[in-house]
Amino acid sequence: MIIALGNDHIVTGTKIQISDFIKSLGHEVIDVGTYDNTRTHYPIYGLKVADLVRDGKADLGVVLCGTGVGISTAADKNTGIRAALVNDVTTAKYAKEELNANVIGFGGSVVGEHLAEEIVKIFLNTEYKETPENKKLIEKIDGIEKDNPAQHDNPHFYDDEMKLWNEGYYHD
Amino acid sequence: MKIALASDKGGFDLKEYIKSYLEGLNYDVVDLTEEPAADFVDSAVAVSRAVLDGKADRGVMFDEYGTGSAMASNKIHGMVTANVAEENTSHMTTEHNGAKAIAIGAGIVGPKKAESLVNEYLGVNYAGGRHQIRLDMLEKLS
Repeated sequence: MIIALGNDHIVTGTKIQISDFIKSLGHEVIDVGTYDNTRTHYPIYGLKVADLVRDGKADLGVVLCGTGVGISTAADKNTGIRAALVNDVTTAKYAKEELNANVIGFGGSVVGEHLAEEIVKIFLNTEYKETPENKKLIEKIDGIEKDNPAQHDNPHFYDDEMKLWNEGYYHD
Repeated sequence: MKIALASDKGGFDLKEYIKSYLEGLNYDVVDLTEEPAADFVDSAVAVSRAVLDGKADRGVMFDEYGTGSAMASNKIHGMVTANVAEENTSHMTTEHNGAKAIAIGAGIVGPKKAESLVNEYLGVNYAGGRHQIRLDMLEKLS
């Protein structure tokens, strides 16, 4: 499979480890970044992973930031994406088997390296088991919010925010 | 602080438990599912709407695994819901993500840990500052 992989600057080291792990399982990785520890913003990478999965350029996505909340939420806010934030193997298996999750998220600062690998492994290896009940639930999830075409495959989508950031508008 | 709660069947007993717990701490609890919702999508949407419409300050949603409620909730424009199973994420998500709700999986998290999770979530405030650009970016997504 082709796996889209995205992260923020807090967990780049863990991302590299997960990238190597996914490759060791025989899969191809598209690493959308970020690639270093310079401060950046998780929605950028959640959106990139979502685009690749939506466009069929990747089969599944894996996203991580400090807690996993921000980047998995960003990925989930895309029609056709079902991003599951998990903290254990049991939930990861459920998310794929029952909800046909196509993006898995976890906290790179929260989950240790061995557990992170097991979460990713079970997510990649588990098959969705369709039932009339879970099919209906998935359709219901997919229908909650309308699509925003402007956010897809648009490298300039966050230009305004980045301009403000670079001007020092956002500060602690 | 006004806290909206809701659950499906799988999260119902834990929702009842946390409802009593929060009431004991003098939180103003808005129980949106006196009877279990038909599924976790309905309960997650109910909590999300209550928070987004200003009928509650924050929300807690319950189902069997937590991840489904968060997945459904985050579909809603403007919503940020964290599926939490440990305390660090529970307070970090308030501070860094301004999480409007948390989801707890009753099949994953036991009652004492659930108490700790809601305490950590409700006990801190959003930090703002540099984190705001990320929330503005999330807000721009559908």
